[in-house]
Amino acid sequence: MIKLMYSCKQAAKLSSRAMEQPLAPAERVLLSLHLLMCKGCTGFAQQIEFLRRASRKIPEVLEKDGD
Amino acid sequence: MAEQDDLAQSLEAHRKYLQRYAQFHLRDASLAEDAVQDTLIAALAQRDRFQGRSQLRTWLTGILKHKIIDLTRSRGRGLPADALVLGEDSDSNDGSFNAKGKWVDPPADWGMPDAALESNQFWRVYQDCCQRMSRRDALVFSMREVMGLSSEEICKKIEITTTNLHVILFRARLSLRSCMSKNWFGTHHD
Repeated sequence: MIKLMYSCKQAAKLSSRAMEQPLAPAERVLLSLHLLMCKGCTGFAQQIEFLRRASRKIPEVLEKDGD
Repeated sequence: MAEQDDLAQSLEAHRKYLQRYAQFHLRDASLAEDAVQDTLIAALAQRDRFQGRSQLRTWLTGILKHKIIDLTRSRGRGLPADALVLGEDSDSNDGSFNAKGKWVDPPADWGMPDAALESNQFWRVYQDCCQRMSRRDALVFSMREVMGLSSEEICKKIEITTTNLHVILFRARLSLRSCMSKNWFGTHHD
């Protein structure tokens, strides 16, 4: 039987990789399928995107730390 | 000569910021100092290339990024090449998932997290959480997410494979996310 469902670990790993390079079409479909049904992984994907936005602000934060 | 002194003086005004920037990435005060020193010397030497097109600080930070990477490479600090040969599953031991690949502690809702970006306390927690990663993971993560280097650039500069980069970034994101969840989003604060 072909395994059509990703585990949370596979889905999370792909969400992370998707921030680095485009996923293959099949990966994209299987990932969205998993995310549709999994709140935890949806949260993970949003949160690592948020952490990227936050990280980009670190230079500003270091500026504010005062000279 | 007077002109030279002027530039030296303006460079000096940025030293503390550059030190904090280098320290954030390198987590080592004396190594950071070396990177800053190298940067200021390079800036004086390449002064002709700075034509006021950008802010002096932006230009200096650009040089500093390269110095940080050069230093970690030349001293092999935190980036031992062999230790980077990671198994496919080396990210599975961090306890985030059980044997079946299910979340042990599924990510909870963070609500509207962007409001936190205004809080000084949030940034202290963020920096503490970065400290919990290994030095190497933290540096690769910050090269990607703070310096904003591309995946290709990072792989080339520190000589790791794309697969290794993905493993490291995944592990770093798992670690930072879980730490921020526990220490910021899951707690009460002002």
